[in-house]
Amino acid sequence: MKFRPLVVSAAVVAAASLALTGCSGSAAGSGSGSAPTTLTLGVLQNINSFDPAQAHLGHQMQIYQAAYDTLILRESDGTLSPMLATEWKYNDDNTVLTVDLRDDVTFTDGATFDAKAAKANLDHFTEANGPDANQGQSIESVDVVDDDTIDINLSEPDPAMLYYLSQAAGFMGSPDAIGTDGVKTDPVGSGPYVLDKEASVNGSQFTFTKNDDYWNPDLQKYDKVVFKVLTDVTARVNAVVSGQVDATLLDPKTSKQADKKGLKKTSYPVDWQGFLLFDRGGEIAPQLKDVRVRKAINYAFDRQTMLDEALLGEGEITSQVFGKTTDAYIPELDDAYTYDPEKAKDLLAEAGYPDGFTLKMPMPDGTETFMAMAKQQLADVGITVEYSSATFADYVPNIIQGKYSVAWFSIFQGEPWVAIRQMISTDAAYNPFKTTDDEIAGYIDAVHFGGYKSGELAKKVNQYVVDNAWFAPWYRVNQLYYSDDSKVTVEPQIQQAVPNLYNYAPVS
Amino acid sequence: MLTFIIKRIVSGITVLIAISCATFFLLYYSGSNIARNILGEYATPDQIVAKEHELGLDRPIIVQFGEWATRAVSGNLGISWFTSQGVAESLLTRLPVTLTLLIVAIICIATFATVIGIAAAVKRGWIDRVVQVGAVLGEAIPSFVLGIIFVTIFAINLGWFPATSSIQPGSTGSAWVLSLALPAIALVVNGLTSTAQQIRSAVIAQLEKDYVRTLRSRGIPETIVLFKHVLRSAAPAGLTVLSLHFIGMLGGVVIIEQIFALPGMGALAVQSTVLGDTPLVMGVVIYTVIIVIIVNLLVDLANGWLNPKVRVS
Repeated sequence: MKFRPLVVSAAVVAAASLALTGCSGSAAGSGSGSAPTTLTLGVLQNINSFDPAQAHLGHQMQIYQAAYDTLILRESDGTLSPMLATEWKYNDDNTVLTVDLRDDVTFTDGATFDAKAAKANLDHFTEANGPDANQGQSIESVDVVDDDTIDINLSEPDPAMLYYLSQAAGFMGSPDAIGTDGVKTDPVGSGPYVLDKEASVNGSQFTFTKNDDYWNPDLQKYDKVVFKVLTDVTARVNAVVSGQVDATLLDPKTSKQADKKGLKKTSYPVDWQGFLLFDRGGEIAPQLKDVRVRKAINYAFDRQTMLDEALLGEGEITSQVFGKTTDAYIPELDDAYTYDPEKAKDLLAEAGYPDGFTLKMPMPDGTETFMAMAKQQLADVGITVEYSSATFADYVPNIIQGKYSVAWFSIFQGEPWVAIRQMISTDAAYNPFKTTDDEIAGYIDAVHFGGYKSGELAKKVNQYVVDNAWFAPWYRVNQLYYSDDSKVTVEPQIQQAVPNLYNYAPVS
Repeated sequence: MLTFIIKRIVSGITVLIAISCATFFLLYYSGSNIARNILGEYATPDQIVAKEHELGLDRPIIVQFGEWATRAVSGNLGISWFTSQGVAESLLTRLPVTLTLLIVAIICIATFATVIGIAAAVKRGWIDRVVQVGAVLGEAIPSFVLGIIFVTIFAINLGWFPATSSIQPGSTGSAWVLSLALPAIALVVNGLTSTAQQIRSAVIAQLEKDYVRTLRSRGIPETIVLFKHVLRSAAPAGLTVLSLHFIGMLGGVVIIEQIFALPGMGALAVQSTVLGDTPLVMGVVIYTVIIVIIVNLLVDLANGWLNPKVRVS
């Protein structure tokens, strides 16, 4: 035997690799993809925990929706329909919400869904310190009225409460499972699908199979639903173009490949992008105290050119922060600040900065293109921008802690009260300097206590923040959702980057 | 030989401890706002404090490290902060993917590089020139660039292979083969030519030695001279390059796994580092260091086996 050592070591290595392949390949043994209808979605984010109280909005929603039902169902156009709750009603001062519940629903571990279970979930949600815990902030207590009725007592009216009950706050898990360690990796809900743990790898793929005892088969259109976690946009475009996933979210730069392949594109604006002029009191950047300076910044941007260059035109220019699909939207405000560098210079001169000034700003990774454009345009009117690099991991925390006077951001355009609590009210994360005055406080109060009229009342808030140039929005960004329409029909979901799981159906 | 192995193991453990400490402290001082990242942008300061307390982040770093190390020594690597899954469990589902990929790639590199390297050394001429040029090109083109090219051509345009991994627990053997083919080839191309070049040089160096002339003068057939004597003496150089490639590929798979969405250690390393998921990052680091130590030990043993002179030194 010539080469004994080499041959033997090669054989050992080969055997080892085969053994590794073999054991992982056969360990689960559940076989692959023979089910008649399977929906495979490429999702952007992994989930932290399957405990419903740790659920997060946005990209993670549809994974939770596979396992859990919400009290209220939010239709694709934003209207709220019964789900686990059949009816709901506020008392006269909007502080007690009485909710009637279904009495024919069972969780996958056999526990019954009733008023006690609903109370247990809402209590757990308010105590569990989850990412969307703020949705339960106004819930003071929950009373069991009878077997299928609860009273949700609010510390103060919350115009977004019903919306929240269609989101993270509304997910109902088995009362025996919520709060345990087990539920973090193995969801126990009453939802349309059940997690197949054997066929799932956390951070890579979650496989769900049909819940045979589901109470509402209308919402259960597939035998199997697979979520592939593809955080990398290149991997997502490859997966959808090659047919490995049926639908996924792309961005303007990568989507051309999907267009060429003839995939169906659904695009609608969800976020707005631009600068948030946080320091309206002039604590870090004294110049920003003057509304004329903030207006000058607004007039300095050639929004259409930026949109065309940075996002290949996938969006709509705007000067307001409230979304088109909300009651707070005022069409005229979209061009409240049209590109006018001369006017910007005049305003700066009036404010006492004829030679401009220097503005320090963070620049997170990946935003270089449009940040360079913004810098150029501000320089054209005399404002010198000095960028410091920032990582996304620290970016939001630094914003919230008030370390930046101005920062770029991409913000979700939600329901008016959600948007106000996100960036305008004094407890808003994106109002780190807690800017306020009697006028805006009055408008916010009107929305807060406005009951069913609150959406309409938010127009005043919108007008105020545009007039006072609290922000310098550039455009609403189109979310580009691609699907293979020979396999799946997808209905877009208003104000959501990714549709609800209920919006997908197989092509028959 | 036993002392040799014990020495290597002791130095391996020292490296492991040093790297664990360094990683833990670097993660701590990188200043990531873990609690804020877990809870998201709407979390109130109270929520953040509660979360930090829950994770034990409000204690001095020495205490945190001590606790982690004590548990790690007993084999408990803790629970991921971002997936709520056991660290060991996460790693064990992902290790087979990465190891299979690496082992397949290294076997291919070893086999083809030996054949090509010997051919170039013995025949010289055009094969030799191709190997020389190839070595430069192969080193210059990173494996992830090849990966992207392969995906575009063979997965998307031709549709021969899946564009992203179809490896999952329960998937069949063919899913593994198809999913691993492109990333493995990308890794092989990158390492093949330079390894072949090393083997070529080593073989040429041996062919010029006196003992070869002696063997030939005694009328020993050329194949026996080449394969029994020359290759055995030249193998240590090749093995060392291979082990370096293996360790280098441990870094290369980080990007390759991202491109192909393979559920391996590399992808896990990226995800957990970006998030600042300390327990998971520590787990990945420890497993990786252990792999490197084992590979180095195996290469040393193989070299000693091939060439008794190494054992003495």
